[in-house]
Amino acid sequence: MELRILSLVSERYRRHVPALAGLGLAVFLWLTFYTVRETEFVLVTQFGRPVYTVAEAGLHAKWFFRTATYFDRRLRIYNPRPSEFLSRDKKNLVIESYVAWRIQDPKRFVETVGDPVAAEMRLHDIVWSGLSAALGTVDLESIVSTNRQAVEAARLQDRLSEAADRAALAQYGIQVVDVRIKRLNLPEQNKQSVFARMRAERERIARQYRAEGEEQALRIRADADRQREEILSAAYKEAEKTKGEGDAEATRVYSQAYSRNPRFYKLLRTLESYKKILDDKTTLILSSDSELLKVLMRGENAQ
Amino acid sequence: MSRRGILGGVAVLWLASSVYIVPADQQAVETRFGAVVSPRVMPGIHISLPWPIDRVYRLKVQQLQRLVVGGEISDGVLGRTEPRASQFLTGDQNIIHMRVAVQYSVGVPADYLFRTDGVARAVGAAVESALAERISSRTVDAVLTTEKAAIQEEVRASAQKLLNDYRAGVILSTVNLETVTPPPEAADAFRDVASARADSSRIVNQSMGYANDVIPKARGEAQQLLEAGQGYKLKKVNEAQGDAARFTQVAAEYSRAADVNGRRIYLETMEQVLPRIKKLIVDKNGNLDLTIIRKGDNPPPQK
Repeated sequence: MELRILSLVSERYRRHVPALAGLGLAVFLWLTFYTVRETEFVLVTQFGRPVYTVAEAGLHAKWFFRTATYFDRRLRIYNPRPSEFLSRDKKNLVIESYVAWRIQDPKRFVETVGDPVAAEMRLHDIVWSGLSAALGTVDLESIVSTNRQAVEAARLQDRLSEAADRAALAQYGIQVVDVRIKRLNLPEQNKQSVFARMRAERERIARQYRAEGEEQALRIRADADRQREEILSAAYKEAEKTKGEGDAEATRVYSQAYSRNPRFYKLLRTLESYKKILDDKTTLILSSDSELLKVLMRGENAQ
Repeated sequence: MSRRGILGGVAVLWLASSVYIVPADQQAVETRFGAVVSPRVMPGIHISLPWPIDRVYRLKVQQLQRLVVGGEISDGVLGRTEPRASQFLTGDQNIIHMRVAVQYSVGVPADYLFRTDGVARAVGAAVESALAERISSRTVDAVLTTEKAAIQEEVRASAQKLLNDYRAGVILSTVNLETVTPPPEAADAFRDVASARADSSRIVNQSMGYANDVIPKARGEAQQLLEAGQGYKLKKVNEAQGDAARFTQVAAEYSRAADVNGRRIYLETMEQVLPRIKKLIVDKNGNLDLTIIRKGDNPPPQK
């Protein structure tokens, strides 16, 4: 081919031939070799018609008349607008989600969508209809609940990701890696009633705390009072017992001593009683014949 | 300078570009024609093929990057004075406001560089989704008080798992719940619960104070009773023993001359008793006008 070109050009331009040949070679090489980076796919097209896809990063060669089109193969995060959905039990929920996606089949992608912005619009539709269908089959309780067994959110998200992946891959050559719920919220018009409910709930809890404190306090006081009575009465019992022992012992000692000489005891005790019975208010009428006054009346021989 | 010299200089510089240094706090990824050849080049001096065949990407792998999820900070420049609501729905369908700070670093440099378009967005999305899931399975009280640490760890682990699935090449080092507050619409009710809890523990403490006062006092009183009982017993027994000893002594002497002693004791007693009292002495056969007794202390009137 070069020989024919050379024969056509005149002798005068012959000295430029090496330079031209070099340039031609450079252009040829430029059109033949291309690099694919880790972040990219290359779709090789022939006059606009896709021929094949190169996913392997590195240096590659193609026919010079074919063109390479580059596509970003990195994972992208797309955040659809928050939208309101209705659960099976007719409750409104505002859901914010995100979609992690990447181009999987550049050929299909370029044929159907073309660029990432358009792709995200399509993804929005897929995810929206998926979410709305999925939420229609579950109650609010099974997404938002303290009962972990009942929470189906994880399964719902898995199902949703799978369905979205299937749809997006078949239609647009897009792989949906994950669709996940980022934020669950209630619509603005419902929030006021939720706040009112929260307040009521708090008030109930506050009352409960106070009442429980009262209960505990009363219990502690009652227990303390009981303990006091218990301690005091036990001590009383013990003290009386001890006193009784003392009395018994004293009685025993007395009786032991007195029973040895009961006559003297009787005399002594009787005289002792006189001292107490006879005080200055007493008027004693004594017979002159009495033991005490016999001597007074009759002199010594009265003995 | 000759043309050859310039060309030579350029060639040397070109070759020199194949030597590169990775500083101590960094790691590098080396690519050849876009394909990764060395996914993790450690710090030091290294040789690669010259540009544009090889390219070197350096990364500060240990540097922590910070990201805030939820609770967008108010922005005076944009005229936004109120922070945007970062509301989450709890399992018992309460609304709470949260702000979460995430710190992450590079785990797998090649993945970090080439797998994801916008690593920060992926991290934010994964953390937010994990957070929403954890919050929606807990009660508002658990979120506000006891389970903060558990939530942080669970969110970190679960978001890390998501990011590993996405091959984002990052390591989440901490997920920190910076602010967790009830919505302002119900904040005072929440505060009242806190003060109710304080009230409750205050009255419980007061009653414990009462118990701590009453019971030791009762114990003291009980001891007093017991001691008094013991004292009484000792007193009684000792008195009895004393009396008995005295009696025994006297009785021994008495029985030696019972008649004389009996009379003596009798008379001694009379001496003690009679001086204090009024006495009327009547003759053995005499009659007594009892009216004088009734007049008591007054001297009999003259008739």
